[in-house]
Amino acid sequence: MQQSEVLIIGGGVIGCATAYYLSKRGLSVTVIEKKQIGEGGSSRNGGGVRQSGRDPRELPIAMYAVEHLWPSLSDELEMDVEYYKKGNLRLAKTDAHLKILQGLTDRATALGLDVRMIGADEVKAINPYLSDEVIGASWCPTDGHANPMLTTLAYYRKARRQGVRFITGESAQRIVKQKGRAVAVVTDYDTYYAERILVAAGFESNDLLASVGLFVPMNRILLEALVTEAQPKMFEQMLGTAEADFYGHQSTHGSFVFGGSSGIDAYTSDFDRPVTQGMTAPSICRGIMGYFPVLADAKIVRTWAGWIDECADHVPVISNVDEVPGLTVACAFTGHGFGISPAVGQILTSLMTNETPMVNIDALRYDRFKAKI
Amino acid sequence: MNGRIDRSIDLGPYVAAPDDGMIICRCEEVTKGEIRRAVHDGMFTITEIRRYLRTGMGLCQGQTCARLVKQIVAKELDVSPDVLEDAVARAPFRPVPMRVLANEAEGRTR
Amino acid sequence: MERYELIVVGAGPAGLSAAIEAAKAGMKTVVFDENAKPGGQLFKQIHKFFGSKEHKAKIRGYNIGETLLREAETCGVEVVLNATVAGVYEGRELTVMQGDSIKHFKGDSIVVATGASENMVTFPGWTLPGVIGAGAAQTMMNLHGIKPGSRVLMLGTGNVGLVVSYQLLQAGCEVVALVDASKKIGGYGVHAAKVARTGVPFYLSHTIVAVHGEDCVKGVTIGEVDAAWQVIPGSEKTFDVDTVCLAVGLSPMAQLVKSAGCEMNGIVPAVDAYGATSVPGIYAAGDVSGIEEASSAMIEGRIAGAAAAYQAGYLEKSDFESIVTAHEASLGSLREGMFGPKQRGRVQTVTEEGIVLSQSLLTKGYLDESDLAHFPSIQHGKTGVYPVIECTQNIPCNPCQDACVKGCILIGNDITSLPVINAEATCTGCGMCVASCSGQAIFLVEEKPLESTAYVSFPYEFLPLPEKGDRGIALDRSGAPICDAEITAVRTGKAMDQTHVVTMKVPLDYASTARFFRRR
Repeated sequence: MQQSEVLIIGGGVIGCATAYYLSKRGLSVTVIEKKQIGEGGSSRNGGGVRQSGRDPRELPIAMYAVEHLWPSLSDELEMDVEYYKKGNLRLAKTDAHLKILQGLTDRATALGLDVRMIGADEVKAINPYLSDEVIGASWCPTDGHANPMLTTLAYYRKARRQGVRFITGESAQRIVKQKGRAVAVVTDYDTYYAERILVAAGFESNDLLASVGLFVPMNRILLEALVTEAQPKMFEQMLGTAEADFYGHQSTHGSFVFGGSSGIDAYTSDFDRPVTQGMTAPSICRGIMGYFPVLADAKIVRTWAGWIDECADHVPVISNVDEVPGLTVACAFTGHGFGISPAVGQILTSLMTNETPMVNIDALRYDRFKAKI
Repeated sequence: MNGRIDRSIDLGPYVAAPDDGMIICRCEEVTKGEIRRAVHDGMFTITEIRRYLRTGMGLCQGQTCARLVKQIVAKELDVSPDVLEDAVARAPFRPVPMRVLANEAEGRTR
Repeated sequence: MERYELIVVGAGPAGLSAAIEAAKAGMKTVVFDENAKPGGQLFKQIHKFFGSKEHKAKIRGYNIGETLLREAETCGVEVVLNATVAGVYEGRELTVMQGDSIKHFKGDSIVVATGASENMVTFPGWTLPGVIGAGAAQTMMNLHGIKPGSRVLMLGTGNVGLVVSYQLLQAGCEVVALVDASKKIGGYGVHAAKVARTGVPFYLSHTIVAVHGEDCVKGVTIGEVDAAWQVIPGSEKTFDVDTVCLAVGLSPMAQLVKSAGCEMNGIVPAVDAYGATSVPGIYAAGDVSGIEEASSAMIEGRIAGAAAAYQAGYLEKSDFESIVTAHEASLGSLREGMFGPKQRGRVQTVTEEGIVLSQSLLTKGYLDESDLAHFPSIQHGKTGVYPVIECTQNIPCNPCQDACVKGCILIGNDITSLPVINAEATCTGCGMCVASCSGQAIFLVEEKPLESTAYVSFPYEFLPLPEKGDRGIALDRSGAPICDAEITAVRTGKAMDQTHVVTMKVPLDYASTARFFRRR
């Protein structure tokens, strides 16, 4: 039997960030991770730290993170997480593209985000490497990117230094409910008691939540990314396209990290591990070259796949569970959890210390899912 | 997957060694000292070391240094190298220029 | 998407053998190899192989490669070169980079025969240009005709280190030392002996302390290690070299099997007796499934190819079983002997026959005179010409038995037995045994007490060949000069396959010690 004030299931960026902020408050924290630190989407995503393109329900969280947390994160964690606040370009080649971008821009502007449509000349001034076929873009100057692997490991490293106990290679099996409260988690090794329990285990959160009769409607969606060998420094913005051909950025290392999809790679037969598919990387490369012909000779050194825990309504569940006091859930981030992870870590810290979060998250409750008719 | 590891185990203090400056991963120019330091920073698996330092993430994808890194990490953790799981192998097995990967000679069907 | 019944990755000994066996049975088979030339490492192997006839013993590696290629062509195997397999995906799909495009292929079966890559060890200066793998040195010399350097130090005394050292000497390099941290030479004694008799010193229980140089290798310092592998202060020796070769083992190139999701057993895929991995339809053969010799790789390939053909219905069960039984027996015999996998890690002091092993051979690379009397095949003081067979370890090899038409040499059915001289038979001095021995361990001696001279015939694989009448110095087994010598005959012929038999005249007293010749 083990005991701590808070028990976190899941050693991804959400679990590590939350462990860090809780331990900074002086709480004793244990983190149980089935595989290794940052095994899932935390190490596999494209590194976007975006506000633009976000659903209004989670946009305030992203804006809070960009305004208050990301700029000082490397200093706070004493490690360079390679954060760049150099803007996000969402590119258009056709009028139809422009129309899509205009819609996104209008919605974000209404919520107070500084994002606007720009013409071909301004796009070229921001990024001279783009193809002449680009006719315009949406531009959010406060967006950016960071290194997701380093961010996750930086939170982990600092949390560990602050005394958080991390155990990897141990699988949580079920939540123990006593007198109506969640009091412990049984693993394949021991039982861990805690006053507060956070389930932040991605798609697999449902396996654990089932033991207390909870279910978050989400699917596993496969997505791929690739990385080039290091290239000379070219640009610092985060990039995307109206049609989502690809997204990505150039890293501090000089390599380009791009994510994308062939459109049919969600249909896989291997659900044991996220595997890449033969047609996806070529598809992403064609997408990139359509916008960056200059990158045609860059060598791809690695491709990888990762699962997105895609929520039925495309925004996460970040919530205390009313029916099971002591239990908190953070999952179903739908592929855009990394950029908001520092803020989510703080929100969860508030939720588990009975404080009001600095951003209203009522729209992200676990019990919001209703039948359509 | 490497088995159960309690990340709070005491590795003792990090003691600098005379050969800490030796390059181990040639592609990404990572030294022995950086790898040893990473273990003390809590990076206990080969994959975490890779993500932390970029060892084995260069052009050769670790074909040269994987064995060497494993030996260093194992020694620092005081375990046998055999218990440390290798990093996942990822396509392409050789670097491929983007224009080549983009140029599929056969039909794009599954 | 192009489909084949069998796709083989790697056109080395294992891959070609698998493809041949499968195609012979009727499978539509293709082999992809990233190199411009097929054969894997075979075309770099200019030495004669060990084993028995079925293992292609006493044939040089590149000739085995030629034979395999012809056989593959005859069977209708498609060998595609400059074709790099870039990825493996669900449903046994491979992407292959050819020229400036990527092609997709699917195979009902895939045989992964991707071989191995060289291990590196670290020491100060290990990244300097001039520190290279022994295999790289072999590629430069034997495929591209380039001398890797002038003065070379070899780290590692396994068969690769020994064979490549000999090849460096053949290419005209000076090998200043063979170094190994182990207390004992790792490779075959006969390989060590043929290097030692040219005068190359062995430093066992030594390691590289540092390689010197700013932009390239200018020198190397070695030192003796104690039981804890630490360098003993004061034991350092420095050599002026421009090249340091590392022969410190191989690691399987297992990216493809790992990426395909095959269950791994450490660094190799877990396979059954037929090379089948845990992923249905994917087989592994050759070094990728465990480092061994090319001879074993070829047999593993044959078995995997037959297994794929049986799975696909191209072989009847009984035919498949008889193919496998024959190959397994052949593979089993190759794995026998004191260097076989069963003996790994064991300390051996005597041969299978109960003869005390030569410690000098294991530590210095040559037989000490005190060892000679223990081995009945090392004769002396006989009348007329007689063979002296300095083969003192149980290794799987027997061509000498067939080489002697007079039946002088007996090995018997156990391929690892030491050769025995048949007292009933009479040596004619033809020299075929000398040329047939892949270990260059057979000599002919003729003592002429009345003339106070002896004639010693020895194998010679260097250019230029000495000529009759050349005068020089005879070297003993350690390469030390011992007496004057005159070349009296140089025999060469097609059947000898470039192992020339050179005869030198030496004073009678040196009949049992003179083993090599150096021009003045």
